[in-house]
Amino acid sequence: MTDLVAILVSGVILGSVYALVAIGMTLVYGILRVLDMSQGSMVMAGGFAGWAVLTSWGLNPLVALLFAFAITFGLGVATQLVSVQPLLGRTGVDFEMITFITTFAVATVIQNVALEVFGPRQKDVPPIIGGTVNIYHGVSISMQSILMAIVSIAIIGLLGAFIARSRYGVAIRAVAQDLDAARLMAVPVRGMFPIVMGFASALAGVAGVFLGALYFASPTTGELPLLIALIVVIFGGLGSLLGTIYAAYAIGLIQSSVSVEIGTQWAFPVLYAVILAVLVVRPQGLAGRPSEARL
Amino acid sequence: MSIFAPVTRRQRLLPLSTAQWAAWTAAILVIALVPLGYTDQYILSIIVTALILVILNSSWNFLLGMAGVWNFGQLAIYACGGYGAGLLILEWGVPAWAALFAGGAIASAVSILLAFPTLRLYGIYTSLLTFSFAEVILFVILNDNTGTTGGPFGLDFVNGLYPSLSPLASMRAYYWTALLVAVLTLAAIAAVMQTRFGMALRAVRDSLPYGAARGISALRYRVLAFGFSGFIAGIAGALYTDFNNTIQPSVMGLTPMSIYVTMLVVGGLGTVLGPVLGTAILVTLQTLLVDHPGIELTILGSALLVIVVFFPRGLVGEAASLSRRFSAWLGEEEVAGEEQSTP
Repeated sequence: MTDLVAILVSGVILGSVYALVAIGMTLVYGILRVLDMSQGSMVMAGGFAGWAVLTSWGLNPLVALLFAFAITFGLGVATQLVSVQPLLGRTGVDFEMITFITTFAVATVIQNVALEVFGPRQKDVPPIIGGTVNIYHGVSISMQSILMAIVSIAIIGLLGAFIARSRYGVAIRAVAQDLDAARLMAVPVRGMFPIVMGFASALAGVAGVFLGALYFASPTTGELPLLIALIVVIFGGLGSLLGTIYAAYAIGLIQSSVSVEIGTQWAFPVLYAVILAVLVVRPQGLAGRPSEARL
Repeated sequence: MSIFAPVTRRQRLLPLSTAQWAAWTAAILVIALVPLGYTDQYILSIIVTALILVILNSSWNFLLGMAGVWNFGQLAIYACGGYGAGLLILEWGVPAWAALFAGGAIASAVSILLAFPTLRLYGIYTSLLTFSFAEVILFVILNDNTGTTGGPFGLDFVNGLYPSLSPLASMRAYYWTALLVAVLTLAAIAAVMQTRFGMALRAVRDSLPYGAARGISALRYRVLAFGFSGFIAGIAGALYTDFNNTIQPSVMGLTPMSIYVTMLVVGGLGTVLGPVLGTAILVTLQTLLVDHPGIELTILGSALLVIVVFFPRGLVGEAASLSRRFSAWLGEEEVAGEEQSTP
């Protein structure tokens, strides 16, 4: 019973953060058909932004979240303008593959600029709030983790409401459904791309502040979240928001149950076996639709 | 129009004229003579490492550029060859030469196993699956506490191919071995591309429906391509282990991958000589900037970006396309008056 509670609690917490990182990826893919490999370095940049605000400047944690959001939003817009916008409409190249490489190149640049600026040493990001809560016999979680889950769920909820209700969200969905039709309905498609990628990166940046407090901030901290986000989007199906959210919680629960029952080092091999099985049965992920060539 | 050169059937396996044969033989001989006159161990070891990278990059290029399968798990295959050979030597006392080929065979087998789930997918899912395959292999080795692979420290004290030679003699021996394997690899890839197998791969790369309509089994030829490319990558990995007497998980991961992808893209995907040129340029750059790893990778990333956006064919590809246009232009002069349409 103790195990079960531990598995459920840590699974839900992990799932919420994974959803935050992965949902940006799936949003960008749904609209631009770009698999944003710089998402991991945005987590890292968010971690450093949070570290700078919380330790060097000693400001309010809320400021740290907003600052990380702003920094990574700007980085995301810049990434899109540099690595994706020049390739739009280019003939003779495989757009998805070429942007996979260019966003990867941007990630390399961001990671190594961080290495030059901050050095390779790990920075301890202080938790936004301290303290732990004992929820069941022997199962206790930190307030930080609870806050992380709450903020993640709140942001995902806000994003969902934004996409479902607002005028801009409708435009985003229209572009994801049919680019040309959206253009004919006077949706300013080209101008929308950088902003969507900025938002996606900012979500990863906010996740980075929390993950930085959970682990630490260093130039390579983006790699693991990137790998997990990739596994989540393969599992859920690229471009499907709901599928990604379900997949994030499923992956979080699988990871926490494997960690508790078998051992932490088996979490990734088991996850990989699971996605292999999913892909062999459903090559489009759980909720994905067959992709078609666009742009 | 594709970024790749048009597919044309040639008659001989290596389509070289007598003069080209002579030039290549002379060039390879000159390169082979370098360690006789020049004995700086540091520079020689960089060249040997670069030659091993040429072998690895060529095998990767075979899948990425020639077969058109966006496999980003090649470094894990390379590591399988290196770890396989190292473990065979350390645990079972297999002779290093046998372990070299066994490493290739192990990597080839892993590559074929990876091919089956990968080839069920298409587009971006291919790269996702193979990329995460490499990351998972890296993660498993890093967290291996059974002592088999040595975890983050890797395998140490592997006796290489030439344990009894003096340092300089063994350096020369490795230089010639790596050069021989690199030349054989390039020749084999160039020759394979002229065979039915290579033609089928290129046809399926350029248009899967067309290839399928002409009765080419994409699955069969691509699985073969994974096996072939995996074998070469495994040999490269085993050579790495033999040369360094050690192999660590740091041969995999995002940083090496970004460097090698840059080498491929700068040189030109899908060209035989692209990986050679790309590797040569980037290894030179790395050697010059060896004290500033952060700056080096920043430059590499920016270069990758610029090349992909502005010269998607890479240096060798752009040069080949220029020379094709030049000869087409010359041809037009000769047959002036005849209708010539160039797209």
